[in-house]
Amino acid sequence: MRGRRFVREAKVAWAIGIKDIRIYYASPPSLMFGILFPFSMFLSFVIGRNMPIAHAIPILIAQTLFFASSSIGPITIPLERRMQTFDRFLSAPVSLWTVLLGKTVAGFIYGIGISAIPIAIGALFFGSQVTDPLALTAGMLLSAFAFAAMGIMFASLPGQGPGQILMPFNFVRIPLLFISGVFIPVTDLPYWGQIASMFSPLTHTIELVRAGLGGENFFGPVVNVSVLTIYFVVFVFVGIRFHIINQKRE
Amino acid sequence: MNEAVRAENLTKFYGKLCAVDHISFEVAKGEVFGFLGPNGAGKTTTLRMLTGVSIPSEGRAEIMGYDIQRQSVEAKELMGIVPDISNVYNELSAWDNLTFTGKLYSMSKVERESRAQALLELFDLSTRRDEKVETYSRGMKRRVCIAMALINRSSILFLDEPTSGLDVQSVISIRTKIRQLNEDGLTIFLTTHNMEEASQMCDRVAIINRGTIVAIDSPEKLKRTIESLQSIEVAFDKATPTMSGDLNGLPKVSEVVKQGDKYRLFTDDPSRILAEVWDYANSNGLTIITLNTLGPSLGDVFVKLTGIQPDERGIERRSGRGRGMGGGRR
Repeated sequence: MRGRRFVREAKVAWAIGIKDIRIYYASPPSLMFGILFPFSMFLSFVIGRNMPIAHAIPILIAQTLFFASSSIGPITIPLERRMQTFDRFLSAPVSLWTVLLGKTVAGFIYGIGISAIPIAIGALFFGSQVTDPLALTAGMLLSAFAFAAMGIMFASLPGQGPGQILMPFNFVRIPLLFISGVFIPVTDLPYWGQIASMFSPLTHTIELVRAGLGGENFFGPVVNVSVLTIYFVVFVFVGIRFHIINQKRE
Repeated sequence: MNEAVRAENLTKFYGKLCAVDHISFEVAKGEVFGFLGPNGAGKTTTLRMLTGVSIPSEGRAEIMGYDIQRQSVEAKELMGIVPDISNVYNELSAWDNLTFTGKLYSMSKVERESRAQALLELFDLSTRRDEKVETYSRGMKRRVCIAMALINRSSILFLDEPTSGLDVQSVISIRTKIRQLNEDGLTIFLTTHNMEEASQMCDRVAIINRGTIVAIDSPEKLKRTIESLQSIEVAFDKATPTMSGDLNGLPKVSEVVKQGDKYRLFTDDPSRILAEVWDYANSNGLTIITLNTLGPSLGDVFVKLTGIQPDERGIERRSGRGRGMGGGRR
């Protein structure tokens, strides 16, 4: 009985995710915040700096994964709130968990899809090699889920448009770049910076991707995987709580 | 269990504002139940709580015997919802909108596709089923929205202002479909600020104002509670500057309201007024063009119970027959 219910809810979550893919992946805010934003930030960071491409590719992969995965929730949910299509889910015979899981799946697939571009570019044009496929796969999958759930959590902020969610969200996302070993390697950070970087999920994405492509790893894969898993669970639970609070308030 | 809906002390606070204040009512299976009130009275908030979209601050609601909060999946499987705006996916076709909704209700592929096709035909949308809904007219979007609410063969249909803002043809079409659905056994919960609609469509009506229910009964019984608001409507071949005052001076006339080229004379004794008006016309050399007796309308009931004039807070007047709509001509 419970198993059948689980399968049923999983199918609905998948249907919601696919619907979001069809409707929102090519929408201007998705292209802007999911693709243009991370690529342009990356280019402004690497151009003119004497950085080996082997160091740059993992940063680009992690950045695209971070921005693409976390952007879908804050774009789809406020738009659907404005059009009242989000109410369709709330009045359908499915749990809020299922609805938000569907939204998370949409962010997850978007993040994986977009970050596959720099992986392909690295492999085809710059000779990047995957030396630890397990680390790379774990890093990408866990990060995509965690960042998608992070976006869903922020999408619970009151707002009727993506801009109202993405603006405050960027106040969190952009500072994370500075403490996550993107612009400055974790090894070069002061001690307090290294402590802070451990609490950033993006740090662990970069570390696992770097490890997957033969680079160095500061915290170790066990810590990386554990932290990303914890963040995924925390973002999901907090996101659910926030959305329930919204339902009580609306 | 004969109730499709049971609300007990349903309450909603927005901060300190009490939008819905401890309302209780039941809707019988197979009934068309109207929730009538001005904008901001609490109609949509009540509907959102009944359908599980919003969580009540206090109280509870049951749909077909299932608690909407504790047994939400069971309750939601039995209901369809048409909100006040057509919340369709504009980027998808009508077909995709319907089949996606079928997926939300975990219908099998065969079942949802056959149901979607049947509903598209029922709502005259099948010829444009593969076009994106963004190209549809407002009336067509409304029909798609109602079709989506019926995909799961729901037992109760919640409609929030279903005909608001639509052209006459769409209004007639949608009302006809709603009546057909009700005849087929579907329970209808309808919120509206259109008294004509409530009077024509509903078996029973709850009048809600400022978050509280001020009356619940059938439209005709509600009208009978204020028989003193009977009236006659008269139009003469020509008007005189003193006509309004003259008519107001007739015995048993409590009020005269000029409506275009007609006068509506309120009275508790229409038969006596008819004779007085006839005498007035003869003595002033006037010819009576129109003469009707009117019962109190649902609008009159609304005004009497709430003290709000129809136009003050978004109550819609349709036929231009003065203070109330839906009054029966006798």
